[in-house]
Amino acid sequence: MDITGLMAPFEQTASDYYSYAREAAAKGRKIAGYMCSYAPQELLHAAGYLPIRILGRTGETHRADELLQAFSCSFARSVLDSALEQEWPFLDLVMFSHTCDTMQNVADLWRAHTPDTDVLIASVPTRTDGDAPLRYYMAELERLKTQLETMTGKAITDDALAASLHLYNEHRTAMQALYALRTSKPALLSGAQMMQIYVSAFLMDRAEHLKHVLAVIDAMNANEPDDDNGLPRVFVAGGMCRHVGFIELMEAAGCVVVGDDLCVGSRSFSFGEPSGATPMEMLARAYLGRIPCPAFHCDGRQPGDALVEAVRRDKADGVIFLLTNFCDPVAFDYVPQKDALEAANIPALSLSVEQHQAPPEQLRTRVAAFAEMLREGAGS
Amino acid sequence: MSDGAVYAGIDVGSATAKAVLLDAAGVVRGTSVIASGGNLSDSAQRCLALAANEAGVAPDACSAVVATGYGRERVSARSSAVTEITCHARGALALFPEARSVVDIGGQDSKAIALDERGRVLRFEMNDKCAAGTGRFLEVMARLLEIELDAFGGRALQAAAPVKISSTCTVFAESEVISHLARNENVDDIIGGLCNAIASRVYGLASRARLTAPTIMTGGVARNQGVVKAMEALLGAPIHTPDTPQIVGAYGAALIARERAGAEAS
Repeated sequence: MDITGLMAPFEQTASDYYSYAREAAAKGRKIAGYMCSYAPQELLHAAGYLPIRILGRTGETHRADELLQAFSCSFARSVLDSALEQEWPFLDLVMFSHTCDTMQNVADLWRAHTPDTDVLIASVPTRTDGDAPLRYYMAELERLKTQLETMTGKAITDDALAASLHLYNEHRTAMQALYALRTSKPALLSGAQMMQIYVSAFLMDRAEHLKHVLAVIDAMNANEPDDDNGLPRVFVAGGMCRHVGFIELMEAAGCVVVGDDLCVGSRSFSFGEPSGATPMEMLARAYLGRIPCPAFHCDGRQPGDALVEAVRRDKADGVIFLLTNFCDPVAFDYVPQKDALEAANIPALSLSVEQHQAPPEQLRTRVAAFAEMLREGAGS
Repeated sequence: MSDGAVYAGIDVGSATAKAVLLDAAGVVRGTSVIASGGNLSDSAQRCLALAANEAGVAPDACSAVVATGYGRERVSARSSAVTEITCHARGALALFPEARSVVDIGGQDSKAIALDERGRVLRFEMNDKCAAGTGRFLEVMARLLEIELDAFGGRALQAAAPVKISSTCTVFAESEVISHLARNENVDDIIGGLCNAIASRVYGLASRARLTAPTIMTGGVARNQGVVKAMEALLGAPIHTPDTPQIVGAYGAALIARERAGAEAS
């Protein structure tokens, strides 16, 4: 089976983020927008909503600029601007997670300026390990459950939540399998195509996305790639970056993107098998048990070591960081990560990202020089 | 490699286009530097023709041509394109085999490159977003002060008490210079302050790339002794400058053309 022929649904969704949600809403489906991979999507799904991740858009953010400080990131600006411009009339509710103060403020501004959309806040404890965070988060999930039930006028049954947990788990497992296949056969599916797949996961019905992903997995299992000609293998790290253009830039410079630790990428799919006595406990444990993103903490968390391990697992020659300006949590992790890579003799390049802009042309020379550096293998 | 073979490197930068021709032994036979102008392909062709003329060969006689610089994809004669980071590293090491770092200040960007003993790039940092710390900064200030850019370096060395230019933005630095002029400050001191400002800006890149001595300075701004001295003071070590620092990228490109042709032949 030709993989390119299977890409159409992903390409279409990745090229027009909210087309799928708009069509679903037109057919009568209720749409829940969410900001962050820590939003308990299974709960929204079990309540009967189509959960769609708000990823921002390219373009100016004049209305948001009136309300946000200059040190707010371009992601916050972009999503708030879209809300103020009423670009998402199909949203029935929007769910924020308290990942950083900027997003908390965007939630308040959203609530104050667009009274037609319900704004929910799902607080995830900053520390994710131990009994107290679990108790806190379970109470928080119960509160959200009640809130959703009041809004829909319908109970969220344990069976419905169990079914949603099963679907999302199956989808994450498939995404993990696809990531592993890509790392071993990157010539079959480009990094840009992979990004279209993972970005569209947040924008489509999970059951439908899963069906398309399984077809790609079958095709990848059935095909053997051509020789990759020894092109340098690059791992992409950082936070929020949704621009396929950055991956295309790396591939045009002669790199093969073999793995990522991006907020819209592998990080959102690296959950363990759910466990717990009730579906609500399973849900709480699934989100608290995942490898904490830069906004969260737990004992023994070593962002540097974890990155080195991922880079070695994916047999990458170097790392390119995509860092959104003014994203403090990611910037804090960047320092130990950069140091750990250097200690492990893994070259790294960092590029700054503005979410509302395509990658600037000047970056082309940096990325090409980094590719040349990896090919020459200096220091070895 | 046949004995009569020639290899060319063409560096099409934002301000100038440079070409270097090497013979089979790697000896420089021809060089040229011209303004890049509005048509990068034409200027690439013209600077190649000038260097070829100096070498006494036809421009299309080159066995291999490596293009570099912002306009590298516009060089129709190229056999391949290599970034200026790699080319400056290679060229600098060939000129100074003991070099372990390069500071390149060009027309519209500046770079700090750490090298290994074979001229391979270990780390690099680049300023390509802002005119401060580039040749353009000095051009703007030279125009403002109505002083030839070539005279800047010498005048900076005459500065008894260089003024402090605190802004890192070219446009605001320009208004600061106007304030200094309004206060009737000595022009040499202002020029000295401008050279210090550019050096301090580039020193930030050098620190981030953790450059080690010996350092080579390349690019057109290396001709300005005021900036070189200011960089030396900040780095705390002497800086080597080639006789024609603008052509180091093109020279590195020509060396890569020769190496690649050699690798293919063997």
